Amino acid sequence: MKPLGLYIHIPFCKKKCNYCDFLSRADVKKEDQTAYVEALLVELKYYADRNMLLDSVYIGGGTPSLLEGDLILRIMEGVTGSFALSEEAEITIEANPGLLDRDKLMAYRRAGINRLSLGAQSLNDELLHFMGRIHSSNTFIDNFHLARDCGFENISADLIFAVPGQTIELWIDSLKKTISLGPEHISFYSLQIEAGTPFYGLWEKGAMKAVDDETDRRMYHEALEWLKNKGYGHYEISNAAKPGYESRHNLKYWSMDQYLGIGLGSHYYINGTRFSNETDLEEYIHISERVTGEGVCDKIFVSLWHPSPWAVWHHRNTEEDEISEFLFTGLRKIDGVSLSVFEERFGKPITAVYENSIMKHSKAGLLELNWKEDRLRLTAKGLDLFNQVLVDFV
Amino acid sequence: MDQYQKHIRNFSIIAHIDHGKSTLADRLLETTGLVARRDMKEQFLDNMDIERERGITIKLQTTRLRYRSRDGEEYIFNLIDTPGHVDFTYEVSRSLAACEGAVLVVDATQGVEAQTLANVYLALDENLEIVPVINKIDLASADPDAAKAEIEEVIGIDASEAPLISAKEGINIEEVLESVIRTVPAPEGDPEGKLKALIFDSYYDNYRGVVIYARVFDGVVKAGDQIRMMNTKKKYEVTEVGVFAPGLTPVEQLRAGEVGYISASIKQVADARVGDTITLDNAPTETALHGYKKLQSMVYCGIYPSEGEKYENVRDALEKLQVNDAAFVFEPETSTALGFGFRCGFLGLLHMEIIVERLEREFNLGIVTTSPSVIYKVVMNDGSELMIQNPSNLPQLTQISHIEEPLVKADIMIPKEYVGSIMEICQERRGVMTHMEYITESRVALHYEMPLNEVIYDFFDALKSKTKGYGSLDYELIRYEKSNLVKLDILLNKDLVDAFSMIVHESKAYNRGRFVCEKLKDIIPMHQFEVPIQAAIGQKVIARETVRALRKDVIAKCYGGDISRKKKLLEKQKEGKKRMRQFGSVEVPQEAFTAVLKYDENK
Repeated sequence: MKPLGLYIHIPFCKKKCNYCDFLSRADVKKEDQTAYVEALLVELKYYADRNMLLDSVYIGGGTPSLLEGDLILRIMEGVTGSFALSEEAEITIEANPGLLDRDKLMAYRRAGINRLSLGAQSLNDELLHFMGRIHSSNTFIDNFHLARDCGFENISADLIFAVPGQTIELWIDSLKKTISLGPEHISFYSLQIEAGTPFYGLWEKGAMKAVDDETDRRMYHEALEWLKNKGYGHYEISNAAKPGYESRHNLKYWSMDQYLGIGLGSHYYINGTRFSNETDLEEYIHISERVTGEGVCDKIFVSLWHPSPWAVWHHRNTEEDEISEFLFTGLRKIDGVSLSVFEERFGKPITAVYENSIMKHSKAGLLELNWKEDRLRLTAKGLDLFNQVLVDFV
Repeated sequence: MDQYQKHIRNFSIIAHIDHGKSTLADRLLETTGLVARRDMKEQFLDNMDIERERGITIKLQTTRLRYRSRDGEEYIFNLIDTPGHVDFTYEVSRSLAACEGAVLVVDATQGVEAQTLANVYLALDENLEIVPVINKIDLASADPDAAKAEIEEVIGIDASEAPLISAKEGINIEEVLESVIRTVPAPEGDPEGKLKALIFDSYYDNYRGVVIYARVFDGVVKAGDQIRMMNTKKKYEVTEVGVFAPGLTPVEQLRAGEVGYISASIKQVADARVGDTITLDNAPTETALHGYKKLQSMVYCGIYPSEGEKYENVRDALEKLQVNDAAFVFEPETSTALGFGFRCGFLGLLHMEIIVERLEREFNLGIVTTSPSVIYKVVMNDGSELMIQNPSNLPQLTQISHIEEPLVKADIMIPKEYVGSIMEICQERRGVMTHMEYITESRVALHYEMPLNEVIYDFFDALKSKTKGYGSLDYELIRYEKSNLVKLDILLNKDLVDAFSMIVHESKAYNRGRFVCEKLKDIIPMHQFEVPIQAAIGQKVIARETVRALRKDVIAKCYGGDISRKKKLLEKQKEGKKRMRQFGSVEVPQEAFTAVLKYDENK
């Protein structure tokens, strides 16, 4: 079995941002955060299998850096107590500028964390304020240097563009300032106005105008130029990295590799089955308490492909699901999917399944089918119209 | 007069939509004990769902009531309900012809409406006695004296004795019955004479075949008789006769003066046409009853199965509807844009809407309808004439001498404050006013001659919208007139979409073209390329809009937890695509076809 990825969700924030619809709460007391970590540890223990090799761990959120350093240490102890961690494993924590200090960063290092993903979002203070972020651009720059100082050699920065009010110049300015810090990895997302967020309310009322698509795409393609010129390889629709620093964990999502998810509302994909966990915090903790009481974790063998007590949904993928998801995720990668891997995995050539759709979108200039290079990939235009192509593959 | 005839009263109820006709009919049924209150649905006599929802009667329901009068005698009432819309004038006139009197219901809060007036005139044409009734007296805004005055002024009959009632609250319902006994004469006619019976309605019953609603004027009809339809010349053997009590109740015979049903194993209603005269085959009467007309479709449109719907299903449903509706005609046709479908003819726009709605709701069909059209008379250079109701069939302009269009006489009644705005919309629709009169101090009748194609487009909606619902309209065809008409085509990405083609007056072409282009621009989704939408007359483009090319359609973020959720979004997007019609390279949502027809006050 290939090494597994592990995702751990921390559903807490100091404050919800105006654009965010992720599963996270801003009003949780310290002791409840501790209770949550205890519950997480039970779930980790439930899966304990020293023969299971992990080569990536990703602590995401929410805002994992809200937690005290010792809690992160305990979580990582839980991980190493349950699984075998490969020496080369990529271990990432998401952190928000403004919540980091030397003690926390050193605790992360001690915990074995070797990659930091910093939510910079913008380097313009007005926009940061408008988005409801708690930090300023200087805080991000200071935190970045501090992380370097503490020994982080693999840092990623998240940026958001097409924010209402943002001009192309402002966006490129943020990008250039970020690049000048020299992070190994940069994610750059076009803002989506999601239902249920304060931004959505403003937009619905007409009080906020979304950036038009033409501007959005100019921002995107100009950013790609800048990144390329500064030595970043564009490897997924919204991600670029210096060579060798592509996110190993995230690539599992886009290559249909297996990963386990732990924590509130986490999703995982094991053995052709997709699972998702309980999303109610109290209920999640309650399940862990029940499992402890019943001694379920002392069982000798827990099958990974049966829903755990925390799972509330699972779906065994049909072959059709597997194929469509393989493309839905794989075509997000700039180098697309390998034709031979497809054929090996599904026992038939890709053209046997999607000949018409591939032809149609190749003709429209959105897709490129290259037998010589063994790839099916989106063209530059296809990157902008990803959904138009994928609609025919789902 | 024979003894039995003395105690019969045959009458109709005339009222404007919403003025309470059906409610009054319900109360009469209740008062005479025919239907217990607890068994009653609202508006018992309107038994089609669509009718009940819209509060209008389309199909007649006739019923027989027994009532012991205050004079101690028992009377039989045959209540012949009439449809209440402008499209069904002929059916109304035949129902009235079966009666000796009509109850005129006037809303005490609104007065007399154009529709009512038109039907009163029909009743007077048939020499009916009018029994005025003032309804809705329970409402705070009721003004019964004004309503009476209006009846006297407008119709010229005495309304001083008119019962003041509330059909809704059941107030003074018996007064209506007493008034009918006093005012409406008993039927006459010779039961020993040769059979002469009027067909005033019919419907198809799965067991009996066509059930004919008939009024016997002379003679007797009974099971076993060989009957003959004097206009269609068809012959049948009567299997059953009966009365409406209110269900079908067989009786031995129907005699002169009586109203009832006749069944004779007839396969479709078109064989028992409303207005036709029934007589005995072996002892026929010499003269048929006057007033027979073959129903003529005035409005046509294409009906096509929508994406994923079967042609056969649509055909079966149309056939079923036709069995019961002699006024509805259809034949197969093909559109390059919509494929195989049907050309359907209707009495008017409401008739069309009802059929379309029944196809969708009763038969659960997915259908697309094309722009309604009237019948144009195309006079060719060689003098020959063509009747065209599908714009796509219009011959080359070079072969055409001229085109004529149907003109109607439109009678519009409105409160006086709307005169200005209604004259404006009539003028916009090429109406020519023949005269205008003040019916009362506050109510005005406008009389126009107007092209039918303007009336069926959006006139009724515009009238309702501009008068807050108080305006009413009645129209009838008067003649064909030479007109400067052009065929307006719509092109999507340079390809002509025949289903959007329409024939319009040249002076309207520019506005209509621009309107359709603007509507389509809002409805057609962005494509990967720019989609020009053009309105053209022949080769000449007169309006243009552009659907901009889609620049961005991409899920920005997709990680572990997003895969199932985002995939669902794509699946939804795919479902939306499925419901679209593909015209060349352009995908058009089905609602586009109806949207381009809707009245828009701002356009």
